[in-house]
Amino acid sequence: MNDNNAFFFTRLQYESGDWDVDQRMPSNVMNSLVEYTTLKVDTRENIVPLASEEIFKCPFCYLSGHKLVQFTKEEKANFERYVKNGGFIFVDDCNHDIDGLFAKSFERQMADIFGDMALKKIPSNHAIYHSFFDFEDGPPTTSQELNGWGDDLVHDYLKAIEVNGRIGVLYSNKDYGCEWDYDFRNKRWYKIDNTRFSVNIVMYALTS
Amino acid sequence: MAIFSKEEAKQIMEKALSFSSADSCEINMSGSESGNIRYARNTVSTAGHRSNQTLVVQASFGKKSGTATIDEFTDAALERVVKRAEELARLAPENPEFMGPLDPQQYDDSITFKQSTADITPEYRAEVARKSIEPAAKKDVTAAGFLNDSSSFNALLNNKGLFAYNQATGLDFTVTMRTNDGTGSGWVTRDFNDVNKFDAAEASQVAIDKAIMSQNAKAIEPGKYTVILEPAASVDLLQNMFYSLNARTADEGRSFMSKEGGGTKLGQQIVDERVNIYSDPLNPLVPGSTWTGDGLPRKKTKWIENGVAKNLAYDRYWAQQQGVEPVPFPSNAIMEGGSASLEDMIKDTKKGVLVTRLWYIRTVDPQTLLYTGLTRDGTFYIENGRIKHPVKNFRFNESPIIMLNNLETLGQQVRVDGNLIPYMKVRDFTFTSLSDAV
Repeated sequence: MNDNNAFFFTRLQYESGDWDVDQRMPSNVMNSLVEYTTLKVDTRENIVPLASEEIFKCPFCYLSGHKLVQFTKEEKANFERYVKNGGFIFVDDCNHDIDGLFAKSFERQMADIFGDMALKKIPSNHAIYHSFFDFEDGPPTTSQELNGWGDDLVHDYLKAIEVNGRIGVLYSNKDYGCEWDYDFRNKRWYKIDNTRFSVNIVMYALTS
Repeated sequence: MAIFSKEEAKQIMEKALSFSSADSCEINMSGSESGNIRYARNTVSTAGHRSNQTLVVQASFGKKSGTATIDEFTDAALERVVKRAEELARLAPENPEFMGPLDPQQYDDSITFKQSTADITPEYRAEVARKSIEPAAKKDVTAAGFLNDSSSFNALLNNKGLFAYNQATGLDFTVTMRTNDGTGSGWVTRDFNDVNKFDAAEASQVAIDKAIMSQNAKAIEPGKYTVILEPAASVDLLQNMFYSLNARTADEGRSFMSKEGGGTKLGQQIVDERVNIYSDPLNPLVPGSTWTGDGLPRKKTKWIENGVAKNLAYDRYWAQQQGVEPVPFPSNAIMEGGSASLEDMIKDTKKGVLVTRLWYIRTVDPQTLLYTGLTRDGTFYIENGRIKHPVKNFRFNESPIIMLNNLETLGQQVRVDGNLIPYMKVRDFTFTSLSDAV
């Protein structure tokens, strides 16, 4: 926990895959929070093992990777307790591949923990699309989706596990992590700041 | 023979002009003699010679213009084509952006013509194919290539007495080499005004080596990599950036060079300060015509200096609208490089990807200048200063502007597609997915 009650960004380590992807993504997210909101922001990325008790001090967590998601017993128990206690985890599939290893294995993990039907597509008018900026068409499309990979496959939805009507696990196959992973000095060349949706995710997590 | 001397061309064009009764009349004349040879599956498939000549008349009454074209130059034919242009002009709606013909201009003498290239024979072309096919066959590699050479002239005459004439030669060569097991592919491109600078055996060897080196590529994870881009790989992305250096699209808010809230990015630092790009029709390595199609003189022009956008191209109409002098579109782009060779740059790379070529480039976001495309014909993984192994091709997503902001090193310049482009090492080049294509 930090002293001055500022928002801090927590990345979760897990043992099975590659948790340390898209290293500059958090700084671009925090840059946007500073630019667009009045939120107090601790600009240091906080990295904690999912298996540690530390996660229960973190209101916002991020988990990503390309590879296998096979939680250890402690990781599984912590993930479940953290979400059911009202925590928020943004999970982003770095493979941006509908049948990729990360997607398949992570979805299996969620089914094991929360049941087969827990992870559901959320509608395009969900509150998260209006929690700061308005995204009328649901999740904004990434440049890698627009470039024609996967036969023009665009995931026009996000999935989530809701606990008492609030998202506890937000799950994306859109690879926002890669989309937001660049030298922050290059943000000025984007006609439209492509990290704006990250502000919505954080604001939803903190205010819903 | 479709090549007319300055005097011959002028005589024909003046004859045509004498038939005109329009308010203004502009005549363009061009001709070319070009030869080619094409080979595939290690054997020559076609060889040909083309001879073309054209005369284009644009006649205008007030702001109404008509254009007609012909390829025979008898007096009767010239009269016919002028009359047809005038008939069409009378029928045409007014063009609110019509600019009358230019007054006579002063042009530098161009250096685009080399007799050696004009003298290329079919035997020479066959020899190029042989120098490509034989070494390939010896290495169990199959060559598919194309050589096209041309000698041409262009001339312009209008009713205000402006006359311009230019002769040029050029050759373009590309070859793709495939290993016979189907797993390796290499490619090379060469273009010159002067055939004496072209070495078919050397060029072919580069492609053969790449094909052999790229056999049995391994997949590596897509993501952001430090890349060494060969000039043939970066040229298309850079050209897409050059096209944005256009005043009108910038002023009208339609391009990357438009500023938020109006105005343009002229005078702003847009890329790394080591980037210097200019055009010069008199550069001996990449000479171009010293006048544009509408008769404006082409001079050496700075476009990006120390990373700052220095100039935007203005056509005559837009220059008049903005109250500035026209800045003609360039015939080439010359990007200053450094002294490092490709080998030096590989030696200096801890972890990265060497890219021979990008192709199938398409726009993702025109206003960020974001493009997507694929690597091809030789993509290699570099580790600790050495090429470690070939890698499977990638799809990339990248903007030339962001690329030039992530510049690590500039290497030696190479002529490619009529431009001079350096080898470049760039951080964080975005590979988004794998491609199974060899």
